[in-house]
Amino acid sequence: MWGSMTIEFDCVSLSLGDFSLKNLTFEISKGEYYFILGPSGAGKTVILEAIAGLHRPDSGRIFIRGTDVSRVAPEKRRISLVYQDYSLFPHMTVYDNIAFGLCVQKTQKNEIHTAVSEMMERLGISHLKDRYPLTMSGGEQQRVALARSLVVKPEILLLDEPLSAMDPVTREKFMSDLRSLHEDLGITIVQVTHSRDEAWSLAGRVAVVSNGKLEQEGTLEEVFRKPENCIVGKFVGIENVLDGIVVKNLEDNGCIIDINGVKIHSSCDFENGEKIYAYLRGVDIVLSYDMSGSNGGNFFRGRVLSITPHNSFYRVYVDCGFSLCSLMTEREVDAMKIEAGQNVCVFFEKSAVHLTGRES
Amino acid sequence: MLKKSNLPDSCIISFSLIGALIVSLTLISLLYLGIAQAGDIPNLIAVASETKVIDSILLTMFAGLNAVILLMLAGIPLAYVLARVDFRGKGIVESLVDLPVMLPHTVAGILVYILFMRRGIIGGPLGEVGIVFEDAYPGIVMAMLFVASPYFINTVREGFEKVPVHMENVARTLGATRFTAFRRVVLPLSTRHILNGCILAWGRAIGEFAAVIMIAYYPMIISTLIYYKFTTSGLKESSTVAFIVIVVCLAVFAGLRHVMKYVGKYDDRV
Repeated sequence: MWGSMTIEFDCVSLSLGDFSLKNLTFEISKGEYYFILGPSGAGKTVILEAIAGLHRPDSGRIFIRGTDVSRVAPEKRRISLVYQDYSLFPHMTVYDNIAFGLCVQKTQKNEIHTAVSEMMERLGISHLKDRYPLTMSGGEQQRVALARSLVVKPEILLLDEPLSAMDPVTREKFMSDLRSLHEDLGITIVQVTHSRDEAWSLAGRVAVVSNGKLEQEGTLEEVFRKPENCIVGKFVGIENVLDGIVVKNLEDNGCIIDINGVKIHSSCDFENGEKIYAYLRGVDIVLSYDMSGSNGGNFFRGRVLSITPHNSFYRVYVDCGFSLCSLMTEREVDAMKIEAGQNVCVFFEKSAVHLTGRES
Repeated sequence: MLKKSNLPDSCIISFSLIGALIVSLTLISLLYLGIAQAGDIPNLIAVASETKVIDSILLTMFAGLNAVILLMLAGIPLAYVLARVDFRGKGIVESLVDLPVMLPHTVAGILVYILFMRRGIIGGPLGEVGIVFEDAYPGIVMAMLFVASPYFINTVREGFEKVPVHMENVARTLGATRFTAFRRVVLPLSTRHILNGCILAWGRAIGEFAAVIMIAYYPMIISTLIYYKFTTSGLKESSTVAFIVIVVCLAVFAGLRHVMKYVGKYDDRV
């Protein structure tokens, strides 16, 4: 198993001043595009720095390519790191910045020249060759930083919120560049972000970290649709996270839960009397004016509380004994002529109701 | 860059007037001294061309420079450690570094004397191999080094702290050892602060009097010479030497400040 894993954290704890990583265990396979998601201050950057060897764990071990690297210096790990602030060397030209890694590794001059030129060509920054970093735009600096980290042919590339400081257009372009780089070079990429959109469009697997703790790890599907706790649920943007209690176990047919006096059918299997969180995504909630087509799902009558635009969607809040948020497209809202105060029917499948245990 | 000047308000005007008190003290004494000297040019030329005066000024300048060079060798590594590493007892080390700033100069002189006198812990063994500090050039350098060290170390440390750790981290992930990262990234980005530290330390070193005379009355540095002339020949002769020193220092430091304008310009963080 160790052969296929590139990065492994085995119960890693690490404290830095007031901040600490707590008992982190996860694995990243070779060639994967892995995302570490979490709110600001969750310790995402520290995880990257620990992978790069810039912090040594207080306890636990980190394996890279199957070997314990606790005592391996960062310069010996073949892991490149690109920070959010790019950290370009302001006293060197773009060319010298990119050539830095090869220079300190004592590569031959002509080899350096070829490698650097190719990399600049590939990222479309050849024209910036003689410029100094502080005279360039954020997007250009990011490309230079990426070129500098890739030219040394790392096996693992660590990206610390690479897209957060970009305007939307540059960002789209950069995302597609990252995607093709990952496909072409076949390297393992670990990217840290607090943006769900980035993870959605790039990630293979994701880990959600909060307050120095790993909350959940898995494929995009698992983490975004089946969160393991309410921190993950709220972070991945599930619109409805509700407290409830299981009132009836239906054997092989899921269970019935009670939320604020309303009975909801879920396909998850929980015991009677268990306290639960119910997660229901806004896109899974369908609003209509008639009860037809109801077979086996959850059906309620409710009243529209408010409609607010959100990205390219509308959030429609409905009161059906408890408050629910449904996501609708502009076309749907127009077609139904939904307005606040209207009575509507609310429908969602029992399989759309994901449950996890709740302690209090 | 000069800010576009707006009409000064009452706050700025009153602050300027209060502040002018300090500047005017220096200015009045300089003018007074300058006018007195200008009234007797032949005397000024005679004193300025005295070998004793020229030697003494050169000795002071060179001893100061020598102290700064030694400080660079030991102070840059220390400043880097203080800037980058947190360790137990760091506060104590920092206080020790700062101590010469707070000490009366005679106390500094005593500390230097205890170490470097003929029977001193360091002066003794080194005396055996022919390096004498008492009443000798090395003694002057050591006294200057001691009093100037905090100015150098703290300024350079500040420079190192301003270089983002991220840059060093990136350099290391690209294959540079810590030392290479220091040499290729941290050091070049701190040139301004290092030069500034040198200027401050040098200025402090050549201005030292008390600590120096306690270990080395001879050879006479310029402060000693002025004091000697003041006590033996009176105000007129000593103030002529003082005037010459002022002119030399102004010229040297104005020159250095000019050089500073062109150092480390790529870096807009400083």
